[in-house]
Amino acid sequence: MGKYDHRTITRDGQLLLQKMANDQVETVWERLADQTPQCGYCEMGLSCRVCAMGPCRIDPFGEGPQKGVCGADADIIVARNLGRMIAAGAAAHSDHGRDLVEVLADVAVDNAPGYAIRDQKKLLRVAREYGVETEGRNALAIAGDLAAAMQDEFGTRKGYLTMAGRAPAKRQELWKRIGIAPRGIDRETSEMMHRTHMGVDNGWQSLMLHGLRNALSDGWGGSMIATEVSDILFGTPQPNSNQVNVGVLKEDQVNIIVHGHNPVVSEMIMRACESQEMLTLAAEKGAAGINLAGLCCTGNELLMRHGIPVAGNHLMTELVVGTGAVEMMIVDYQCIMPSLGALAPCYHTKMISTSDKARFPGMEHHEFHPDNAARLALDLVRKAIENFSQRGETYIPVTPTPSVGGFSVEAIIAALGGTPKPLIDAIAAGKIRGAVGVVGCNNPKIKHDYGHVTLTKRLIEQDYLVVDTGCAAVANAKAGFKVAEAAAYAGPGLREVCQTLGIPPVLHMGSCVDNVRILVLAAALADALQVDISDLPLAGAAPEWYSEKAVSIGAYFVASGVFTVLGPMPPITGSMNVVNLLTSGLSDVVGATFAVEPDPEKAALLIQRHVEGKRKALGLPYRQV
Amino acid sequence: MKQVQVHPERCVGCMQCMLACATAHSQSKEMHRAIGEMPLPKPRVHVGAGLSGEGFPNRCRHCDPAPCLLACLPGAIFRDPESGTVLIDPDRCINCASCAMACPFGVIRYHQDWLAPAEKTIAVKCDNCIVRQQDGLLPACVEVCKTGALTFEESADALKRKTAVVARSVSAAVDQQFPPAAGVALLLEMKKSLHSLEDR
Ligand code: SF4
Ligand code: SF4
Ligand code: SF4
Ligand code: SF4
Repeated sequence: MGKYDHRTITRDGQLLLQKMANDQVETVWERLADQTPQCGYCEMGLSCRVCAMGPCRIDPFGEGPQKGVCGADADIIVARNLGRMIAAGAAAHSDHGRDLVEVLADVAVDNAPGYAIRDQKKLLRVAREYGVETEGRNALAIAGDLAAAMQDEFGTRKGYLTMAGRAPAKRQELWKRIGIAPRGIDRETSEMMHRTHMGVDNGWQSLMLHGLRNALSDGWGGSMIATEVSDILFGTPQPNSNQVNVGVLKEDQVNIIVHGHNPVVSEMIMRACESQEMLTLAAEKGAAGINLAGLCCTGNELLMRHGIPVAGNHLMTELVVGTGAVEMMIVDYQCIMPSLGALAPCYHTKMISTSDKARFPGMEHHEFHPDNAARLALDLVRKAIENFSQRGETYIPVTPTPSVGGFSVEAIIAALGGTPKPLIDAIAAGKIRGAVGVVGCNNPKIKHDYGHVTLTKRLIEQDYLVVDTGCAAVANAKAGFKVAEAAAYAGPGLREVCQTLGIPPVLHMGSCVDNVRILVLAAALADALQVDISDLPLAGAAPEWYSEKAVSIGAYFVASGVFTVLGPMPPITGSMNVVNLLTSGLSDVVGATFAVEPDPEKAALLIQRHVEGKRKALGLPYRQV
Repeated sequence: MKQVQVHPERCVGCMQCMLACATAHSQSKEMHRAIGEMPLPKPRVHVGAGLSGEGFPNRCRHCDPAPCLLACLPGAIFRDPESGTVLIDPDRCINCASCAMACPFGVIRYHQDWLAPAEKTIAVKCDNCIVRQQDGLLPACVEVCKTGALTFEESADALKRKTAVVARSVSAAVDQQFPPAAGVALLLEMKKSLHSLEDR
């Protein structure tokens, strides 16, 4: 494959890159090359665009300016920039959560045809957590009160987040003691924007601490609401078989791709694709059926709940269109490259944007709202079917890889026989050394999927159970780690556990908002052992992260007590004070730190060293790494 | 013979050339490491601000005859016969600053350098990235300059292009001779207007 194996380890990716080159269509990799070398000030976090006395930059060589016009030095500027990245990431997740709560509220007043309460049990459980009266009331009334209670969490009135109460008691006390207990979802993001305004918080330490609080308002707030309400509306995931990679597209069927994050749109598209009316129309147009596939996290949402196939992760989103086999791509928001609209006319693909807050050049805009979603979904699927006859030559160069997904916390506990005890016993006995969350995006600066797959492979070889989400989860599924037979890749201890339980060594826990499922699992383990999360033999990793959301996720993992290794370097090297705080100083504050290690082989060693250290501290058998 | 050509009308003042130049003259050649080196590597190109605050990348012109070379009594400054580049021998330099007095463009600086004897301050200026060129690389400032303010080409080619642009612009009777991009022109217009307020 030679020519493109430096860009991606995936065969479908390499073959499609060749195809795109032949078609003279540019991709994210060409645009990165055009941008290289990239601005060093920005890479180091040393440029500030906060106000109009600026923009300012600090010369890291000490020759040029050392202070912005306002007097901010490198530490302040780096901390402000990072703080705003966290705020943007937290805002993205939390706004996604808010959209789901709005659907829940509309369902309650019967203003959302097609949507329903699909997991009553979870509705009742979460409603009780929020103090909503459930006895003798119907589901819709409860849903209305729950939606209202959740909407309150976004503001500041209550002053605390209900679901932060799911963290172990010790962790909650620590947050209160150091003043980073999250007080409201929008409040913390809003306060970050305030603090980073010129002339407000100029303490780089206090800015970073607020960054952790802001991230916690996402992890134990906005994202957790997103996940829980999605489960209530669309069902809590259960293990299911599915398929992944570009080979899931079908030569003889109408192929529709959903791309983005929010299941509010993709669930309705799925229902429309299953309708008899549409299937009949497809048959009339000479198609053998309607094939729905996902990209990125809205793909993960459908895969988790319904076993809908996923065609690829972030860096595959352009290449998938290059197959020429996609009749329509329907996007909502987040991680959708604006290049897609310009790319589609090279093929016959119709591009549709659906969110009132996300527009893209070259896309047809059809806005989804709870009241029109079911009808609009049918309209769009009809258009896609009509586009089938416009299809030219297609190129679907691989066959799909089978995978198993759907491991919600509920599903994992059920697989363990109803309690986390078997997992704890296996960890205590050393059969499983620990658990690692491998999460996050793709980034063209690191060879596509190489970071995720290499790290995951090394970890399971050494008997670490891997749970994954987001684009990392898709990478690992494509690599074949998510079928029961993949236990063969695992070390002897993990293999035995997997074979006994009939689970793969890598458990797909969902989309990027579903990282909160990992938090909930960690909290359950900590509670069972009566320790804090930071005492557990756990770690997190984002080997190929690119987005601001990933920064927020990393920060809430660390603030929750989970050691987290990032692949690409965040833009903080302009301040060694900030670097040192994040990579070592925080351990005295929250009992966990970040590490940055682009090489996944070395990252695996860092994680093993950390986890074995935690085992030692717990008095469990440990290995020297 | 290709040379670094400067097109000041395209400079946005991002100072990337300074970072790239300092990095190219560091021991590690890698920015994130270079900032930890002792002595700290420094740029040989300096971006100055023009009348309205627009950027101008100022570097050695490698003049011939070169005033600095003529002024250097210990003979530390010499010309590489192959490329015509004016170079400074760190071992011979006595840090007398005569070269800087002679240089009409103010492109010489005095500081330590990892290639000079330890602790010795010497005269330092652009060396045309002669080592990078031997390795088949572009001069670092050219490679990094995203706006085309620095190019690496034959002087004759650059001048020919400029002649064509000047000829066209004269016939169009516009005062903005080399509109590089609408955004840049707009920014410059705004800066000029702002600057003019100082005279009110
Ligand atoms: S806030 Fe300070 S450093 Fe930032 S742009 Fe304004 S003056 Fe410059
Ligand atoms: S890199 Fe180019 S645009 Fe930026 S300061 Fe240097 S010469 Fe100007
Ligand atoms: S400072 Fe060095 S290079 Fe300059 S004139 Fe003196 S001896 Fe020559
Ligand atoms: S040629 Fe080399 S030394 Fe001269 S300005 Fe460019 S990068 Fe600096």
